[in-house]
Amino acid sequence: MLIELDSVSKIYNQGQPNEVRALSEVSLAIPPQTMVCLKGPSGSGKSTLLSIIGCIFAPTSGRATIAGKALARLPDRFLTVHRRATIGFIFQRFNILPALSVVDNITLPLLPLGISPKVRRERAVILMDQLAIRHREHFPAGQVSGGELQRVAIARALVNDPPIILADEPTAHLDSRLSSEFMQIMADLKHAGKTIVITSHDPLVTEHPAIDRVVGVKDGRIDVP
Amino acid sequence: MFLNAWSLALTLTSIAGIVLGGIACRTAIRVLRHWNPASDSELQIRLEGEIWLSSTLVAYGLGFQIVSLILFVLAADEFCKVIVGAMCATGSLLANSYGMPALLVKLVGVFFYGFWIVLHQLDIRSESYPLVRTKYLYLLLLYPLMAADVTLQTLYIAGLKPDIITSCCAVVFAAATGGGTNLLTLGSENLQLLLYYLTMVLLLGLGGLLLWRWNRWLQALYAVGWFWFFGLALVVITNVISSYIYAMPYHHCPFCLLKPEYHYIGFAIYGTLIGGAFLGSSAGLVEPCKRRAGLAEVVASYQKRAVQISLILLLLFAALTSYHYLLYMASGGEV
Amino acid sequence: MNSALEKHLNILDYALSALWRHRLKNGGIVVVFAAVIFLVASFQLVTTALTETAGKVLAVTPEITIQRMSAGRQEAIPLAYAEKLHDIFGIRAVVPRVWGYYFDEVRGANYTVLGVSADMPQADELSRAVVGGVMGSGGQGKVVVGRAVSQALQLQPGQLFSLFRPNLSLKAMTVAGIFRPETDLLTADLIAMPLVEARDLFLIPASKATDLCVYISNPAEIGTIAEKISKLLPDTRVLTRPQIQKTYQVVFGWRSGFASVCLLAALAAFAILAWDKASGLSPEERREIAILKILGWETADVLAMRFWEGGLVAGLAFLLGCTLAYLHVVFFGASLFRPVLVGWSVLHPALSLAPHVTLKEVLLLLAFTVVPYLAVTVVPAWRAASVPAESALSG
Ligand SMILES: Nc1ncnc2c1ncn2[C@@H]1O[C@H](COP(=O)(O)OP(=O)(O)O)[C@@H](O)[C@H]1O
Ligand SMILES: [Mg+2]
Repeated sequence: MLIELDSVSKIYNQGQPNEVRALSEVSLAIPPQTMVCLKGPSGSGKSTLLSIIGCIFAPTSGRATIAGKALARLPDRFLTVHRRATIGFIFQRFNILPALSVVDNITLPLLPLGISPKVRRERAVILMDQLAIRHREHFPAGQVSGGELQRVAIARALVNDPPIILADEPTAHLDSRLSSEFMQIMADLKHAGKTIVITSHDPLVTEHPAIDRVVGVKDGRIDVP
Repeated sequence: MFLNAWSLALTLTSIAGIVLGGIACRTAIRVLRHWNPASDSELQIRLEGEIWLSSTLVAYGLGFQIVSLILFVLAADEFCKVIVGAMCATGSLLANSYGMPALLVKLVGVFFYGFWIVLHQLDIRSESYPLVRTKYLYLLLLYPLMAADVTLQTLYIAGLKPDIITSCCAVVFAAATGGGTNLLTLGSENLQLLLYYLTMVLLLGLGGLLLWRWNRWLQALYAVGWFWFFGLALVVITNVISSYIYAMPYHHCPFCLLKPEYHYIGFAIYGTLIGGAFLGSSAGLVEPCKRRAGLAEVVASYQKRAVQISLILLLLFAALTSYHYLLYMASGGEV
Repeated sequence: MNSALEKHLNILDYALSALWRHRLKNGGIVVVFAAVIFLVASFQLVTTALTETAGKVLAVTPEITIQRMSAGRQEAIPLAYAEKLHDIFGIRAVVPRVWGYYFDEVRGANYTVLGVSADMPQADELSRAVVGGVMGSGGQGKVVVGRAVSQALQLQPGQLFSLFRPNLSLKAMTVAGIFRPETDLLTADLIAMPLVEARDLFLIPASKATDLCVYISNPAEIGTIAEKISKLLPDTRVLTRPQIQKTYQVVFGWRSGFASVCLLAALAAFAILAWDKASGLSPEERREIAILKILGWETADVLAMRFWEGGLVAGLAFLLGCTLAYLHVVFFGASLFRPVLVGWSVLHPALSLAPHVTLKEVLLLLAFTVVPYLAVTVVPAWRAASVPAESALSG
C-alpha cells in the first residue's frame, strides 16, 4: 500500500480549552495508481485526513505510513523533507502567489530541493507545454484566467514528480466546464501512474468514472454506508 | 570611558547578544521542563517551533560574538591613543586587570557558541532529536559565560582612565622573555619554533592517519593536539613570528598583525587558526554523540569533514605564519 | 554543484525577488536606515579625522610646559629659569616659546600667535606643515600663517602686512608660507614666527618668553620630572602633556559623547521602526509563507530567506549611508556637524577633513548599525517563519 492509516486520530489544540477532535480512529489503505475521493460535509475532517496523508502534520495517535515512511510524532522538519519528495498539492482556490510569474509559481516546490534555475525552468517548460499554458510563462499569475490558473496549480503539483497528488476541494470554486476539465487531467495522471486523493462533495467529482473509490467521512470517522 | 564610540559599540553588541541569549535561554528552560516528544499537545508543537528560534538566536549570537571579539581588539588598539604609555593594543589591554580576561572569555565564547551550533546541526539530523536535553542544558550553561563576558568588558571599559600609565607591549613581552614565571616564557626562539613545527607535522600526520583509518583514540588525541597547538601557536606568534612580520626585532605584539599596515594578515592568521582549532577539537568532542539514536553515521561524517577542513586550514595557517620567516631566512638574515 | 549550496542560492534568489516585489516598503526602510547610518557614519568619520589631527597636535606639544604665575595670572617667564633645570636628570631640552593671542579689532577675530625658537626639537614637524616656504627661514619678519588668517587678511605668500604692537605702533611682516589644509584644526588661526619676532610683536623683553617647553626622553618619567620642576620653581605652573591631553579629551569626549547619545536615540527610533515593520505580518505575507511551507520549505529555509532579506536591506542601506557620509565629510566638510564639533576658535576654520577609512572604521559602523538591526528583526523573522503549513489549506 502506498498510503496506510491505522486507527489514526487527530486532536487540535490538545490540552487547551479549545480542543477539537477532528479525526477518531480512522483506518484507510490506498494502493498505488488509484484515485480516491474523500466525501463528506463541511467540518467532517476531510482536510485533516488529507493533511495527514500529505505529511503536513503527524497524527496525534495511531500509525500513518506514507510512501514507506512511518509518520508517528515525526518532527516537522522530517515531515517537510518527506512531503516535498512525495506529495504534490492542489488547493481550493489554488493558493497561487499572484505577484509571481506563472513559471516562478510552478517552480516554487523545487527551490528547497536545491535544483538549479536552469533545470527548474526545463521541468516547468515541459509541464507548461503539456498543459498548454506555455504562452503564459512570464505573466504574473494574478493576471491569467481561471482555467489557466487551475493548470498552473496542477503543473506546480507535478513539478517535483511526486507519486501522490492531493487535491483539497479543487472544484469548489469552478464552473462545471472547468471542473470536468480538471477531472479529465486527473484521470490522465492516474493513467500515467500517479496516486490521487481528492476531497469533495461535488457530484462531478464523486461520480466521475475515473474515481476508483469514494470514502465517506462524517464527524471525524470513516462513514461506512 | 563609556562616552566613546568604541565603548558604545562594544556595549551595544553585548546588549544585543545578551538579550538574544536571554530569549534563547527562556526557550531552553521551557524545553528542559516540558519537552515530551510523544505528546501532540499545543505546548509540544510550540516548543518544536521554538527550537528554530533558539538555534537562530545562537547563530546570531555567534556572529555577534565574533564581531565583538574583533571589535574588542580593535577598540584596544584605538584606546592606546588616549592611554598614556600604551603604544598598541597590548598596552591598552593591560591597562587594567580586566582587559586580558575579557579578551579570553570572548575567545572562549566563540568556541562555545560554535560547539552549540555543531551540536544542534547534528541533533536535527536525527528524527528523534536525541540531543535536545543536552543541547539546552549546554545553552543554559552558556549564559553565565555571556554574563561574565559583559561584566568583564564593562569593568574593563569603566576602569580605563586616560591618565593611567601602562607599559607598552615591547616592555611587557621583553620582560616576560627575560625571565620570571610568565606563561609566555617557553625557552629560546629556536626551541619554540622547533616545538611549533613539530606539533604541526604531528597534527598533519595524525589527521592523515585519521582520514585513512578512523580510530577513536587517535580522534581524541587529534582534538587534544589542536588545543595544545592553539595555545602554542598564540605564544609563538607573539614571541617569534610577529616580529618577523613586522620586520622589527623588538616588536612582539599579537594584535598589530590585524592592522592595515600589515595587510590585515592577522585576520587570515587567526581566522585559519581559530577555524582549524575549532573543527579539529570539535571532531573529537562530538564522539560521545555517536551513541545517541540515529546519530552514529551523521557524527562520523561530520568528523571526517571536520578533520579534512581542519587539515586544510592548518596548511594555510602554516603557510601564512611561515612566509615572512622564510623570506627573512632566504634573504640571508641570520637566526 | 553541492545541492545544499544550490538550495541556499535558490533561497537567496527568492529573497531578492521578494525584496523587489515589495520594493516600495523595502525602499522606505533602506532610505530611513541609510539616513541613520549616514548620520552615524558622518559623525564617526568627523570624530576620527579630528582625533587624528588632535593626535598630531599632541605629538608636537612638549612633554612639559612651564608658565610663570603671579597673582594667579600668567606672566612672562625669565629664560634664566631654564638654567635652574639643568640638574634634573631625564630632560632632553628646555626651549622658550611665545604663545599668545592677537585680537584683530577690525575683523573682530582672534589669531593665535606662536613664536618658536629654531632649536625647538619639533621645529621640523611644524615646517613640514608649511606650503610654499620654510618655517623660520631667517629673514626679518618672515611669518607663516594659517589658511583662515590668510583668507581674513587676504594674504598671499611673499606679501607684506602689519599688526599693531601693544603700544599701537605697527609691526611689518612678510608671509613666508601658508599652512597645509590638513592641519587646519590646529593652524587655521595661527600666525607662526621666529621667537624674536613674536617678542617684538608683544613687546616682551629678550630675557623672557611666555612659557618654557621641556622635552623629556622617556614619557614614563613625565610625572616625576614635573614634580621636581614645580619644587624647584615654586612660582610657576607646570603643565604636562597627559594633563593637556586629558583636558582636551574631556572637552572633546563630552561633545562627541553628547552627539553619540543623540545618534543612539536616532538608532533606537529606527530599531523600533524596524521591529514594527518586521513584526507586522500582513495576511498576504502569512499566506505566502504558509504556501511556501506546505510546498516543502522548512522553517529554517524561511528563516534563511528572512535573514537574506534583512541582510540585503541592511547591506544596501549600509553602503548607501557610508558612501554618502564619506562624500559629506570629505567634499562638504561635514557641514552638518560643524557647529557641534568645532568651536574652539572664533574664526570657525573652514576645516578640510580627510579621514582615513580602514576596515576598523567599517567594522565599528557595522557594529553600530547592522548589528542592532539584525538583532531587532530576528524574533519577528522567526514569528513569520513559524506560520503553520496547514493554514494554507483553510480557504
Ligand atoms: N487548525 C485547526 N485548529 C483547530 N481546529 C481545527 C483546525 N483545522 C480544522 N479544525 C476543526 O476540525 C474539524 C475538521 O475540520 P476539517 O478537517 O477542515 O474539515 P473539512 O475539510 O471536512 O471541512 C472542524 O471542526 C474544524 O473546525
Ligand atoms: Mg476542508
